[in-house]
Amino acid sequence: MTSQADKKWGSTVPMSIFTVCVLFGACLFLIPAFIIRPFRYQSSRALAIALAVKQIAPRWTMVAVALTVILAVVLWKRVSRWQRVFFVAGLLLIAFSAAMARINYFEWMFHPVAIPGFEPAVSATLDASEMVMAVRLGTDSRAYPIRELAYHHVVNDTVGGVPIAVTY
Amino acid sequence: MWKRTVAGRILHFYLAGINNQNFLMRDNETGTWWQQVTGKAIFGPLRGSTLEWIANDELTFALWKTESPAGQVLVPVSSDLKNYESSWEPKVSKLPVVISFKESGLADRDVVVGLEIRNTLRAYPMKALSPESPIEDRVAGIPILLAVGPDGKSVRGFVRQVNGSETDFFRKSESREWTLMDSYTGSDWNFQGCSIRGAAVGICLERIAILKDYWFDWRNYHPTTSVYRH
Repeated sequence: MTSQADKKWGSTVPMSIFTVCVLFGACLFLIPAFIIRPFRYQSSRALAIALAVKQIAPRWTMVAVALTVILAVVLWKRVSRWQRVFFVAGLLLIAFSAAMARINYFEWMFHPVAIPGFEPAVSATLDASEMVMAVRLGTDSRAYPIRELAYHHVVNDTVGGVPIAVTY
Repeated sequence: MWKRTVAGRILHFYLAGINNQNFLMRDNETGTWWQQVTGKAIFGPLRGSTLEWIANDELTFALWKTESPAGQVLVPVSSDLKNYESSWEPKVSKLPVVISFKESGLADRDVVVGLEIRNTLRAYPMKALSPESPIEDRVAGIPILLAVGPDGKSVRGFVRQVNGSETDFFRKSESREWTLMDSYTGSDWNFQGCSIRGAAVGICLERIAILKDYWFDWRNYHPTTSVYRH
């Protein structure tokens, strides 16, 4: 009995904790990534869950990474070769999830406008029929070609001293 | 288009996700999540806040340049030139949708002009607006006018009152320039909503905020909307 209990607490339980940590960390990335994906329906409840998970993911994936690294180091010499392969795979998955929880991958697809630049209307070479989103605040008037907005989606700007977000 | 000041704090927004094909943005300062089409904070520290709408137009470049010759135009990001889709509108109009609202008889990607007056919402299908322009209507008791501009693409909305009196507007078809005439003063009006000839010269109509959107998107985020019928 003593030897079985030692074995259980020596590797089985830590291995289970390792597995749970990896799954927990992976879910912190995968659940919101699965829910918030283009061309899929998002119910308000699912969206709320996704945003709540995204909110805590950066911190809790780091906790999961720390726990899995500690467990892998402590158990490394006690486990078999296949269990080491499992450790490495788990560590890679949790590291990937922790990284993705910190990255805004939507901006990989649609690059942001870091600092918007402008040119006078007389110099612009747009087609006459090209659509623009236009604003006038005070004496300042600006046009944002929709062809560009449809890609960037957001431009943070200041017009006539008023900070605005041009969105499309 | 939104004012990005909330409670005296300037926010900087970025694209952060998507919700039923309308994008979500997040601000750097608080991490709050905002719905693009409504300007409402849906999650995070500022949840419940709504961004202030900034009056804006969707115009052809030629029309805008005529009205704002001293204006400035956003310069394309050189590294993204290949990503700007010149025929994005026809391509987007063929993309599938994830939600559908059939009760109005409109197709999911029919373009509508949406407006909200005193919490009353109404959508005007472009396919009705274009041939009938100018359209007169009454929303929440306010007499309004929607007009398609001289380029056939741009739309503006106005309150059709001159000096506090309700009036009707007609397109002057005999005129070479794009002109409306009102029945109350008999004056001519341009697409900016300002009288250019007649007794009302110097008067400009009050503008109404409008939003061009696909029907499914407008209806999804404005569920109490009605649809204009001739």
